[in-house]
Amino acid sequence: MDVRQWSLVIFTILGQMSVGAFLVFLVVYFFAARKVGREEAERLSDLSLLAIGPVLLLGMVASVLHLGNVMNAYRAVANLGSSWLSREIFFGVLFAVVGGVFGLMQWRKIGPFSLRIVIAVIAGLLGIALVVSMAAVYLLPTQPAWDTWATPVRFGVTTLLLGVLAMGAAFVANYAILQRKDPSCAEAQCTLLRSTLRWLAISGVVLLGIELVVIPLQISTIATGSAFGLTSIKMLLGEYGTILGLQLALVFLGAGVFGVFVYTNAMSAGKENVMSVMAFAAFAIVLVAEILGRFLFYATQVSIGL
Amino acid sequence: MSQLAFYFDATACTACKACQLACQDKNQLAPNQLWRRVIPYTGGGWTIQEGFYVPNNFFTYAVSIACNHCARPICAEVCPTKAISKRDDGVVLIDQSKCIGCRYCEWACPYGAPRIDEEAGVMTKCTFCEDLLAQGQNPACVDACVMRAIDFGPLEELQAKYGTVNAIEPLPDSSLTQPSLVITPHKHAQLSGTGTGKIDILEEAL
Repeated sequence: MDVRQWSLVIFTILGQMSVGAFLVFLVVYFFAARKVGREEAERLSDLSLLAIGPVLLLGMVASVLHLGNVMNAYRAVANLGSSWLSREIFFGVLFAVVGGVFGLMQWRKIGPFSLRIVIAVIAGLLGIALVVSMAAVYLLPTQPAWDTWATPVRFGVTTLLLGVLAMGAAFVANYAILQRKDPSCAEAQCTLLRSTLRWLAISGVVLLGIELVVIPLQISTIATGSAFGLTSIKMLLGEYGTILGLQLALVFLGAGVFGVFVYTNAMSAGKENVMSVMAFAAFAIVLVAEILGRFLFYATQVSIGL
Repeated sequence: MSQLAFYFDATACTACKACQLACQDKNQLAPNQLWRRVIPYTGGGWTIQEGFYVPNNFFTYAVSIACNHCARPICAEVCPTKAISKRDDGVVLIDQSKCIGCRYCEWACPYGAPRIDEEAGVMTKCTFCEDLLAQGQNPACVDACVMRAIDFGPLEELQAKYGTVNAIEPLPDSSLTQPSLVITPHKHAQLSGTGTGKIDILEEAL
């Protein structure tokens, strides 16, 4: 592992997190608006929307760092016809632009509501296309540890898990800001926040369950696929076994244990402070776990041939 | 135009690496920027009989391998900038002025042909010595081989002369990229995918 691969770890994690966060924003906004009206829903979610852009931009900056010749970076979309790497950059830029336009319109309330929703849905679809092409980049016949169904599935789970927990933390931070500005808003917002976090905590636990099922299946698929895959898995369970153990323990602790704490503390009013700390902790712990997982993805790569 | 190809005679190669050095010298390559590599492959073992070591299915042979200017160049397929292209004569070239140095071709190529130029930050690889070809000369590796184990020419001609073997261990399965390569296999050569030996060279020399 060198600087180049760390930059890809950061880029893929932050890119997926921003797509996941955007999708979670869309779902939460939709249901919250139906339940308590558009105005309360926007107070819950608008500010957190603004946190997504910088995360995506940071990831894109990290991705540029792995290039040997940055001056040519603009050429990276020249081969949309056959290169998934071109498509990844293409959808990444489109997601950033359309998502950014939506963020600005939503924040400043520019344009009619229906137009904003159409743009948001387009941005969400572009985000999904970004994660799909991110995964397809790694489906190379010469890389048996990457070239399985598990790569897109793991990328998808990471996208949603980080999205759910990042938005949980963002809503909590947003609530703290709201309270300071205008304490009178607190009650309606507090109820909405608690019910939102309960749903996010449940989603996190479900996604944790999926991840814990997929990882062993992925390991057996790669190990039985080819001799090179088996070498990858021996590295994963051998010299990198401690990191894998740490990753599994942390994702269980963050999304599972802390997720349950968030849920129980969100049941009744008055425990918002504990709930908030738990939501931040769950996000931070799972972020570390997912970074470790992505590190292992690159570190255990074994090419076939020479 | 027909496809240009390399021929390699594994029965003649002594793994002296003259081809590798001639390539580095002619193309002014950095020490780790190997466009052509000689890779020894070893298997079997030894047993002790009456106090003497006796070979027990022991074998070793080498392959000299550069870019195979494949019929299906996966490097060009995945390159995001279209910096890699295939000429009419089948030679696959990298246009460094378009390369962004993302090294994706390095992940995709099963022969390890694309190599980074650390200083310029762009990818490079075997050019088939296209400058020498244009002057009617041979590629540097071909002329450097003291055993005359490397040859080149139109793929069909080489196949008519030497057969169609193009995948012995430790080379990958040729169906991945359809390399323009013809090999006369060593008598102990194992076909790709059936290998019982291992690459017998320091990792840093690869």
